Amino acid sequence: MSVEQASEHSGGPLLELNKVTKYFGGLAAVQDLDLQVWPREIVSVIGPNGAGKTTVFNLITCLYRPTSGDIRLAERTLVGLSPDNVVRRGIARTFQNIRLFNNMTVLENVLVGQHTQLKANILGAVFHPPHVVHEEDEARRRAIELLSFFGSELIERQEEYVINLSYADKRRVEIARALASNPRLLLLDEPTAGMNEAETLEAVKYVRRLRDELRLTILLIEHKLTVTMGISDRISVLDYGRKIAEGLPEEVRRNEKVIEAYLGKGAKAEEQESVE
Amino acid sequence: MSIANTLVPARDTRALLIKWIVGLLVPIAVFTFVWSGEAIINNALLSLLGTGNVALGISLFIQLAIFILILYATVIALAGYLVAADSGQRGMIALWIDILVFVLVPLLLVITQGLIIGLALCAIVWPLFFLVRRRFAKALHYTPPQPLQNLQILDAEQRAELMSRGIMGGFWFSVALAVVWLVADLIFYITGTLPTILLILAVIRTLILPVAGYFLGRLGGVIALRRTLAQKDNGNGESSTDRAGRRISKRRQLQELSTSHKREEARDLVPNDLPLRSTGAQRFYLILIVAFILFYPVIDPFLFSFGTDGRLAGYGDAGYYVILALGLNIVVGFAGLLDLGYVAFFAIGSYAWGIIGSTQLTNLLSLPPINPHLLSALFWPMIIGAALIAAFFGVLLGLPTLRLRGDYLAIVTLGFGEIVPIVFLELDKYTNGANGIVGVYSPAFPGANWLSATPYYYLILGLIVLTIFVNIRLRDSRLGRAWIAIREDEIAAASSGINLRNTKLLAFGAGAFFSGIAGAYHAAKLGGVSPDNFSLGDSIIFLAMVVIGGIGSIPGVIVGALAVYSINLFLLAQLDTLAADPSNPLFAVHNAIASVFPGFTFGNIRNLIFGVLLVVIMIFRPEGLIPSARRRRELHAAADEQVEVGALDVVPGAPGFEDEVRI
Repeated sequence: MSVEQASEHSGGPLLELNKVTKYFGGLAAVQDLDLQVWPREIVSVIGPNGAGKTTVFNLITCLYRPTSGDIRLAERTLVGLSPDNVVRRGIARTFQNIRLFNNMTVLENVLVGQHTQLKANILGAVFHPPHVVHEEDEARRRAIELLSFFGSELIERQEEYVINLSYADKRRVEIARALASNPRLLLLDEPTAGMNEAETLEAVKYVRRLRDELRLTILLIEHKLTVTMGISDRISVLDYGRKIAEGLPEEVRRNEKVIEAYLGKGAKAEEQESVE
Repeated sequence: MSIANTLVPARDTRALLIKWIVGLLVPIAVFTFVWSGEAIINNALLSLLGTGNVALGISLFIQLAIFILILYATVIALAGYLVAADSGQRGMIALWIDILVFVLVPLLLVITQGLIIGLALCAIVWPLFFLVRRRFAKALHYTPPQPLQNLQILDAEQRAELMSRGIMGGFWFSVALAVVWLVADLIFYITGTLPTILLILAVIRTLILPVAGYFLGRLGGVIALRRTLAQKDNGNGESSTDRAGRRISKRRQLQELSTSHKREEARDLVPNDLPLRSTGAQRFYLILIVAFILFYPVIDPFLFSFGTDGRLAGYGDAGYYVILALGLNIVVGFAGLLDLGYVAFFAIGSYAWGIIGSTQLTNLLSLPPINPHLLSALFWPMIIGAALIAAFFGVLLGLPTLRLRGDYLAIVTLGFGEIVPIVFLELDKYTNGANGIVGVYSPAFPGANWLSATPYYYLILGLIVLTIFVNIRLRDSRLGRAWIAIREDEIAAASSGINLRNTKLLAFGAGAFFSGIAGAYHAAKLGGVSPDNFSLGDSIIFLAMVVIGGIGSIPGVIVGALAVYSINLFLLAQLDTLAADPSNPLFAVHNAIASVFPGFTFGNIRNLIFGVLLVVIMIFRPEGLIPSARRRRELHAAADEQVEVGALDVVPGAPGFEDEVRI
């Protein structure tokens, strides 16, 4: 941990993708992708459908293994880790088509998110020594605290099964669950997908607050250009698995390749990539 | 408030008193006078006075006395609670019909047919009753009242009123009971079946009962008061503290909760339209059930006369199925890993104690035989030892299945279930092959006679309690949450930091652990182990127990195990014996079928009947008899919105109970 923190202060990028390539059979989903995310930055990855955005997330979280190239978090490689170890390193994510534990309550979902933060083993679970009791109480307290990030609404529904929540609330619970693992880097996969205007505005607000109040670094996939342009420090544009542009929102907006990729192909429809 | 004031019922209280006193008095009178209540009490009293006509030990008397005290005290307190908790919305007749169907009918069936067959018949009667009732409700265009309309916030005055109603409930119920009892005893005395000395005691009892009723009613009132909503500005005691330590008033919580949640909450509150079904009343049922189970070996001879040992042995067998089902529930219910080879770990546990707990091990190692007493005492550490050995193999056999899911996992585990018994069969040098191991020692415990079934009954009871305790602890722990998370969504679980490999292996290990316990018990009880005790059929039966009871639900799995055991291994196995008795209706059925198909026996179609029953249960209750809250939501997510709570009381725990809530 101390090594990682030192590197953070030394000014290197928090996340670094180096010539990352991923083939599915003969199809290159991601090709020679270079990407750097610096501490406390909000970086967006945009691109038309099938551009490989979610694949990039799956590569970072080690759900996929890159065909070639290297992915580093604070200068330590992630390639070859199991997904849970990636979480232990400090990366948490949400999913494009919300993946909550539907038949668990809001509180339980956030508690599962704290899995890496808790230590109780099977004997502790059975015998309830004082430290486990304390840890559980503390975990519940922290879960409530995380839910309170989104106002009082989720706290009042903490005993609700998430399957009964509204779409926007589900998104919030998913983010709370991700935050529960105490990450340094948060990957948000289309956090405003399926939301209406007001909800989108609110989502934009809390993404900013995540950075400002919780000092998180955020990598974002987003379809709504208004959202991306509003909150990103930098934007990377993918098309057919390759990076076609990168830079400040203003630069990207005027980039001809980007305009062609977006307008030339009309890519507003729902993206159908799935994790597997 | 003076006692005199508390005991004079107001007009609206009078109706409640009549409703509940009649409702509860009839079943308790049936138990006392028609069945064996009176006999149990008289025997206990006579042995106290040293004039008992049967040679009852003093410990037996103490047990009988405790059981009797718990039984009557609980019922009186329950009367107090029900009078206090009733909102008075439901009519008398509807309640009495419910008590008739859910208490009296089972009581009479059990008295006439025996425990298991009686309960099995109830399982047929109840669904029919629901059907008829639903038809009637439809025909009369009856819509049940919404319970939420009756959520009341009580002020101090109403709370005092509630309390006095509780006291009155207990008091007047006891008075009624005392009077009925005294009259009955007088009749017995006149007809000469009651010794004079007991009549004196009966008079004393008549005097004590109302006093006891006053205090027990008070207790019922206190319990009812605990479940009321009090006014928010009325001090501190009313607002509940949520787990985070944030104070939210209960009323506020209720307003915020979703309708489905409110409905559950409403069932918990007082005053209640359905007090028989409220959580408060369930506490009383729990006490009654626990007392019954705990003292069963003592009261069984009074309830069912001869054959106690045989019955107890049967219930002991049912017990290890409960443990097996609970263990399998960890793997299948919590972690969602379909395991069709669970019998393998049961076999490993059995052989673990079979080999160590007999002369097998010392013979193999050509050591001098160990003192049998020492070997018997070794059972206690070895029950954990056998469980750990089974858990080890659980992890070991789990390893190759880690990457598999669903059907593929099922096939591989199916293979293990076949391989392990064959391995034991073929390792004949160590396991005596097909002959199995004989002469396995029973446990040692000071004062216990292991030739009778009673010690095994208590042993398995203790093991079940232990298993349930550990299961609940595991379910509510970090590990349990991880298991359920994996079941819900493996990818999201992994992305939340759950190590899939270790967590799944722990599920296999924990599941196998309990089958090891059951195995050691099985070997000790049977006094031997043989490879043909373990077959694919057993694995399927264990799985059926979990699925029928309700996947992932601990109470459901217990009920499922008992139901499947009593249907398949008890009832269906006995059909031919029953049919051989000319006084039994099955005799005629058997003859009628045998005249068409010569040589017909029920044994031939036993599996067919069982299979048809499974199909029927799964069609009508796909979520199991007592589903977990999660599971119910899963299967009825769409229908959940139009839920209406049934208007009629159903005894909680009755098979139709959840059915009613769902409609």
